[in-house]
Amino acid sequence: MRALRTAASGMAAQQLNVEVISNNIANMNTVGFKRQRAEFQDLLYQNVERMGAQSSSQGTVVPTGIQIGAGVKAGSVYRVTEQGSPTQTGNTYDVAIDGRGYFQILMPSGETAFTRAGNFSLNGEGQLVTDDGYAVQPNISIPQDAIDVSISKTGQVQVITQGSPEPQVVGQIELASFFNEAGLEAIGDNLLLETAASGPANVGAPGEPGFGNLLQRYTEASNVDAVSEISALIIAQRAYEMNSKVITTADQMLSVSAQVKS
Amino acid sequence: MENAAYVGLSRQMTLRRELDIVANNIANADTTGFKVEQLLLGEEVGERARNAFVRPGVSFVMDSGVGRDYGQGALAQTGRTLDFAIEGEGAFFELKDGVGAAYTRDGAFTLDPEGRLTTQGGAAVQGDGGDIILNPALGAVAVAADGTISQNGQLTGRLSVVRFDTLAVLEKGGDGLYRNASNATPTAANDVQIRQAMLEGSNVNPILEITNLIEIQRAYESVTKMIENTNDLSRRAVERLGRV
Repeated sequence: MRALRTAASGMAAQQLNVEVISNNIANMNTVGFKRQRAEFQDLLYQNVERMGAQSSSQGTVVPTGIQIGAGVKAGSVYRVTEQGSPTQTGNTYDVAIDGRGYFQILMPSGETAFTRAGNFSLNGEGQLVTDDGYAVQPNISIPQDAIDVSISKTGQVQVITQGSPEPQVVGQIELASFFNEAGLEAIGDNLLLETAASGPANVGAPGEPGFGNLLQRYTEASNVDAVSEISALIIAQRAYEMNSKVITTADQMLSVSAQVKS
Repeated sequence: MENAAYVGLSRQMTLRRELDIVANNIANADTTGFKVEQLLLGEEVGERARNAFVRPGVSFVMDSGVGRDYGQGALAQTGRTLDFAIEGEGAFFELKDGVGAAYTRDGAFTLDPEGRLTTQGGAAVQGDGGDIILNPALGAVAVAADGTISQNGQLTGRLSVVRFDTLAVLEKGGDGLYRNASNATPTAANDVQIRQAMLEGSNVNPILEITNLIEIQRAYESVTKMIENTNDLSRRAVERLGRV
């Protein structure tokens, strides 16, 4: 019975859909989180009667043919890289990107990871690091006697130290951009890795063409929209129920046939 | 004598196939750009073996094809720059993949590492002059209703949207793709509109499909009952004749 397997593929797809939606809702308040969307595609079709086949010796052809589909599959689950709204935090080392680009983070393994979560802090050596203590690239060190730190729109980090009224430049934040941002691989902790699908990172200063501006004392909120996620959840649940209804019907039809006695 | 059972069997087989198609429709109720299908049934008049002028002919049920409803699916806003929906029936985005030309209504596109506009499955989206190459660094991608792509006010290409004189030449290839099963050449569809940041849902009507499901089940039960009755009839006939 093909219908049973077809409906099972539909239930599996909706299950995945619910998993993606629940992850979005769970990360509603995660800094820099980009919502994901499951995209479904139909599975292969079986040609029971091929269109264009001869249907008589007079040369008439089957106009439409009979193609029976085998259900549905998840084509892809991709990140929607829409801008999240900047949220004021007042924290000196919180930086949001308004526009395209990712901060570069040096992982303990030596790899470079990318993130939109700009809720940074300082470590013991005065280095700008993420929540996990991974250093922002290129390295930025804030001197111990700094009174005030300002990060400009274009990523220039300036400090005012005790006794000198002139601001001093201590570093420059750089951003990375990709041809295909959706191709970056998420590794958790708000971090993403470059892949063959994303293409190589193109590094530049904030504010240059193709890069967004920085906003100090702001973080980027997730771009999850609670209302649309909840309605997507309702649709997924109903679709799941309808597929289970198909399974019941196919099962009952099988049982009717099985009960025929001669 | 067995004709009644055979007629019943022909209906049972088509009902099974109808169920397969309804199951596929429901499984794809949430598939972008999916078009609903229906089994087309016909009457197949059986040959009369003997007594052609005395006994009436027997008709069987035969499935003659699958009808596809190419009606517009509902458009849903996604907010993603590279999502496109076609507003207008029977037109398709033109694609090119390893197999050859393909057509789709699923406009959830993405960029490959070289900046080429592709489907999620990797098939290159075709523009007026072949593949469409975009450089995201040039600015936001804006697509007008006629498919013209511009970045920062600069023209970078145009999405090719085509239609066929008759939709019957299209064959479903899975993955949301259609393939041309004939040698008909498509023509540009200038009467449809492209909507950016939107996707077209399936045109499956869930209530209709569930109703079909119930109908199929009940019809199957009654045909099975009929076959049972025919069997009973022959059994009783054999018993009676045995007694004589």
